[in-house]
Amino acid sequence: MPAPVELNSSKKRKSSKNGAPSSKRRAVAEESADTVTIEKLENQVAESRKYYNNIATLISMLNVDSSAKKPELAVAVSLCRVFSRLIAAGNFVDSSRAAENEKIVVAWLKERALEYQRALMAIMREADIDSQVTALSLAMRMLKARITHIPGAEHNIWTTLFSETFEAIVEARDGQDLRTEFVSKYLKEYEDIRYHFFVQVSEYAETRRSSTTLETLISLLSACGDVPSETHKFETFFVEPAATNKRIHSVNAHKKRAQEAWLAILRNNLSQAQRKSLLRIMVHTIEPWLSRPELLMDFLTDSYNAGGATSLLALSGLFYLIQHKNLDYPQFFAKLYSLLDADLLHSKHRSRFFRLLNTFLSSTHLPAALVASFIKRLSRLALNAPPSAIVVIVPFMYNLFKSHPTCTFMMHREIRDKELAADIEARGMDDIFDMSELDPLHTNAIESSLWEIETLQSHYHPNVAAIARIISEQFTKQSYNLEDFLDHTYQGMLSGELGTGEKPLRKPPVVEYQIPKRIFTDRMLVEDGGVDSGPGSFMRALWDF
Amino acid sequence: MPPSQLKQLKASLKDSGVIAPQQSKKQKRQNAKTGATAQNRNQRNAALQAIRDRFNPFEIKAPSGRAKFEATTRDSGSKPAARARPGVTKSLGEERRRATLLQEMNSRNKVGGLVDRRFGENDPTMTPEERAAERFARESQRKMRKESMFNLEDEEDDFQFTHMGQPLTLEGETLNDDFEAGDLGGEESDEESSRKRKRFVDNDEDMEMEEDMDMDNDFIDHGDGDQPERKKSKAEVMKEVIAKSKFYKHERQQAKEDDEDLRDELDKELPGLFEALQGMKNPGKPEPAQQDLDAMNPERAALLQEPEKNKTEREYDQRLKQLTFDKRSAPTDRTKTEEEKVEEEAARLKKLEHDRVRRMRGEVVTDDEEEESDKDSFMQDDEDEEIDDAEAFGLPSYSYQPRPEMAVEDEDNFVIDDDLVETRSNASLDMDAIDTEEELSEEEEVESENEDELINGMTLPTTTASGAASTAVEVNQTAEGKLAFTYPCPSTHAIFLEIIKDVPTEDVPTVVQRIRALHHPRLQPGNKEKLGKFAEILVEHISYMANESEEPSFAAIESILRHIHSLAKTHPLNVAMSFRARLREITTERPLNLLPGDLAILSGISTIFPTSDHFHSVTTPAHLCMARFLGQCSVNTVSDFVTGAFATGLCLQYQTVAKRYMPEFINFTLNALCNLAPTEPTSKLGFFPSRKSDDSVRLAPSKKVTPRKLHFRDIIASASDSDAQEELKISLVTTFVSLLGAASDLWSEKPAFAEIFTPVREVLQYLRQSFKSKVFAAAREPIQTTLDKIDAHLSSARLARRPLLLHTHKPLAIKSAIPKFEEDFNPDKHYDPDRERAESNRLKKEFKREKKGAMRELRKDASFVAREKLREKKERDAAYEQKYKRLVAEIQSEEGQAANAYERERRARQGKR
Repeated sequence: MPAPVELNSSKKRKSSKNGAPSSKRRAVAEESADTVTIEKLENQVAESRKYYNNIATLISMLNVDSSAKKPELAVAVSLCRVFSRLIAAGNFVDSSRAAENEKIVVAWLKERALEYQRALMAIMREADIDSQVTALSLAMRMLKARITHIPGAEHNIWTTLFSETFEAIVEARDGQDLRTEFVSKYLKEYEDIRYHFFVQVSEYAETRRSSTTLETLISLLSACGDVPSETHKFETFFVEPAATNKRIHSVNAHKKRAQEAWLAILRNNLSQAQRKSLLRIMVHTIEPWLSRPELLMDFLTDSYNAGGATSLLALSGLFYLIQHKNLDYPQFFAKLYSLLDADLLHSKHRSRFFRLLNTFLSSTHLPAALVASFIKRLSRLALNAPPSAIVVIVPFMYNLFKSHPTCTFMMHREIRDKELAADIEARGMDDIFDMSELDPLHTNAIESSLWEIETLQSHYHPNVAAIARIISEQFTKQSYNLEDFLDHTYQGMLSGELGTGEKPLRKPPVVEYQIPKRIFTDRMLVEDGGVDSGPGSFMRALWDF
Repeated sequence: MPPSQLKQLKASLKDSGVIAPQQSKKQKRQNAKTGATAQNRNQRNAALQAIRDRFNPFEIKAPSGRAKFEATTRDSGSKPAARARPGVTKSLGEERRRATLLQEMNSRNKVGGLVDRRFGENDPTMTPEERAAERFARESQRKMRKESMFNLEDEEDDFQFTHMGQPLTLEGETLNDDFEAGDLGGEESDEESSRKRKRFVDNDEDMEMEEDMDMDNDFIDHGDGDQPERKKSKAEVMKEVIAKSKFYKHERQQAKEDDEDLRDELDKELPGLFEALQGMKNPGKPEPAQQDLDAMNPERAALLQEPEKNKTEREYDQRLKQLTFDKRSAPTDRTKTEEEKVEEEAARLKKLEHDRVRRMRGEVVTDDEEEESDKDSFMQDDEDEEIDDAEAFGLPSYSYQPRPEMAVEDEDNFVIDDDLVETRSNASLDMDAIDTEEELSEEEEVESENEDELINGMTLPTTTASGAASTAVEVNQTAEGKLAFTYPCPSTHAIFLEIIKDVPTEDVPTVVQRIRALHHPRLQPGNKEKLGKFAEILVEHISYMANESEEPSFAAIESILRHIHSLAKTHPLNVAMSFRARLREITTERPLNLLPGDLAILSGISTIFPTSDHFHSVTTPAHLCMARFLGQCSVNTVSDFVTGAFATGLCLQYQTVAKRYMPEFINFTLNALCNLAPTEPTSKLGFFPSRKSDDSVRLAPSKKVTPRKLHFRDIIASASDSDAQEELKISLVTTFVSLLGAASDLWSEKPAFAEIFTPVREVLQYLRQSFKSKVFAAAREPIQTTLDKIDAHLSSARLARRPLLLHTHKPLAIKSAIPKFEEDFNPDKHYDPDRERAESNRLKKEFKREKKGAMRELRKDASFVAREKLREKKERDAAYEQKYKRLVAEIQSEEGQAANAYERERRARQGKR
């Protein structure tokens, strides 16, 4: 109950005012004069009804008429006190039996309260960070006071005051701190606020919004915390809800609101980047909130068809649907195959993709031709891949060969047909594999051989070369743990080679035994008869130093 | 089936001789005469008793449970069911207890007692006559034996008590009189007499106590020398022996001392000997103050001399060791002819090349068994824990800790060929001799064979340090007059910069050369470390020089690189660590933005270290650095492409010998060509990832441009006007094209050549097409030649292509799992392979068994004791009862008598009456 506390403190203040004013007060005379007047006005309101006009004066003192850039926070705080006290005292309740002039007073007070709330919203939208945060807490206090002390106003207040607050928060200028404050103090703390927040988001995102607003909404929504479990009891409420309100106590209602909110966001005009970031958080953050994840189907298939990184990211969400919701996705593998393009191995989602690919291809019931196509295509791509990707591909292939022994012909193919052998001996052969074929079942990959991996056995990096060599050794290992190979980078490999500090080498490295005659210049070229053929001649031929 | 009871009984009776065949009368009579019948009867009775016991079914304990068939149990067959005869064992135990426990019980709480140990006393079978006879025999036997020298009995005749070698003659007649003569008044207590007796025994030992024994004096005669012909007493003999041994000991000591003196003398002469051996004078050390040892006790002197002696001994040892390590004089090799020298050199080079090829293949050059074992232990360690699959290939684990030694990386452990490090090769000598001539135009340097060529033989190791310095000065004076002649060896790069502050760049190599000459390792012991440090500074200086100026002097850089190279032969670790530090700096600070200095460092690495090695601690990271740059650098400006062109060129140079494939090279070159082409390609030209520059760097020349050779300064300097810019671009294009041509030559043997170069061909064809315009006429020709070359390679690659045959291994044998078979397996035995466990199990079992047995025995003992006690008590009670009854009876009889008497009396009185 704010009122008695306020009374107490005001009394204290009064006594200090009656006492000898300190020198400090005198120094900031003007300011103190302000505070003094504010307090005086405030106290008068508390004393008698005849001073109600002071409220209007105070509101005018807020300094938010034209722009709310520099609001008087002290006034705002004192107004909040005033209103809280009045609300608690029941002055906002207009009973039908009350006298006419009483009703007029109540209506007038309500008018002023609205005016005050609007001022607070304005402050939240425009003022500096401190004022924004203060205004937020004041608005929330007003919300609480009104809901607790005015019977039957609950629904009304949530839809009006809270929705205004919500909009102000979303649209606030430089509102990063305001939003974090809102998330940490209210959204994560109180379950009823979260519930109404979902309602507001779904309403708000009904209309097309700008990309930055959507960004804000997504960040707020994804900060909502964990999904309540089925048996969760809702207990932490900002305002104790009415006993009749069943919905706020039900998990399903919460989830339903959240689902509406997310779907509203997904239906809005998302930018490519937002789409990607949504897809990234899809499985872990969004899908648990949805009671009917199949509603995501359209979004996911659209994203999957978009191509590029978006497709890669949509894959996991789609897989979730296929796995849990029995989604039938025709041509799934063909689509997956088409994702293996030149940029895949250089993409930063590479390891994510390989984890999923590993899951998709882990079934032993897949046609060998399909698996062979994947293997062959990956090995083609490996020719242009960074070492960190090759390091993943080869053990992955190994595992595939282990589970699909039919494909091992790609490593070892003896030609029994004498004629064909003679023909190949005489005229050589082409790679029968068709890289441009889109259907993985018709690429002829299984008839081909993995010359690419054999080439990579002479990769410049010894460790990569060693890994590439596993396919020409006996397949004695059951399988490689793909996870160990996934997250290597140039940086990691380099620091693995170089170490971090000055650790002496175990053995002195070998030094080239011959000191070359020239490195950059044409020194003593005449001696060699003018022909530069020593080591380093390649660079000297191309460059002037 | 065993025979029937009756038959068994008969058989046993026969066996034990109870039933014997009828004896003749004569025999009977004879037996009766000798009394054998009585004996026989006894024997017979015993045998009969035994047979009775054996055939009494109540005496034998039946086995618990039925006997099992042999097939079902392993117990029945091996041993027949034990015939337990509880009665017998019980009575045996009882008997034993009675003999031991009962005795103890009876003698409990009783002190003292007599033990009769007389022979045959407890033997009831002996008659008193026999006993006496036997005793007598033993007595006389004992007398006959001379058992020990301390046996007093046998020397009965000439034995006498002595004191201090004198026979004791007592004033009294006999010893026995002692007791009677001594008054029992009290001056001689019991104790004293016992002491006295003792005294007789050990008097020749305690001579000092003589004075205390005043009371004994009256027994002892102190007279001396009265009996000259007396036999020597034992004590005297002992004394003599002791004296003799002391004398010998002294003599030995004397001899030893003499020897030592002699040795000392020899030792003193040793330095002179050394001088004679080494032919040079050693300043004689001041002799330590001679101590007056002779005056001292010899032992103490020896003690004092000990450390000194140790010192000399140590010195001697050292000298000895030196001598063993000295080279024996051997006939010198004959001077080799020119042909032989050339041949030898060729063989050496061949071996080096062979080593290099092996390293390239990733084989370990030296046979390091130690490493092998290292590896083994590592593998063993790993077996227990979870193995990271990737780590087995040398990939760092994600935490990026220093990696464990992996199988794959063991390849960097080459032993440096001493030949290369220590001495100078003839080939480089020849080569560098030319160098020297050119640089210094001084002839004598060519002859200085033992010196590193790059120091130009300024130091002559036979002279002293100052001599070397002066030579250096002279030499340098002839070379150029303006430079200082001596420089300190810098310890940091900053100091080095300070040193060469005023030196023109061209002369820096000379300064380096002078520093190296002045700090040649042979001149001072610490110089090797100093030069190592200096080598590191030089590496740092390379990148500094290349970064510092717009147009670095590559002649100077090259010369310094050659200096580093020659230093690297002696200080491979320092140089390698320094290069690695540079690379680390690149990785951490500017992985995607290589500076000219970095490029200089990378090219330096390509000349100093063998880039063809499968694994090399410097070149492998250098490869990675370049690949990372090519794979990820920005491609926005022309100068990016110039740097890239340099790096791609370097990549190819690194791979000239090993011909390893670099995906990044192809990606970068193709991307660069696509970006530089006058028009953007409409379709994808291959499966390389395309990167587009933000600002267009496309060729858009207004007039005819001709490609030129790229210059290193193009990396830094931006072209001034658009014409120069275009010229640079077109020369970049031609450079890239020729790089691709070179790459196609390099990788023409690769099995996937067609896959790699088909996109290249497409790009080049596209380029040729877009270069149709007149202005590119000059660039068209190199593109065409490269295209032709690639086409040729492609067709030959097609011809050479065969299906892969990677798995021609012998099939692996299935791992055998034959169980270990134990011949004549015995289920009772424990076949525990763990010996300790088996042993402890055995002990446990034994302990348990013993414990059980002991407990049972104790229990039986207790019951026996209880029984005995009860018996005693009963006896006591019975005796009491008897006594009581007797007394009662006595009283009753007395009473009866009295009654009778009374009766008689009464009757008598009545009768009287």
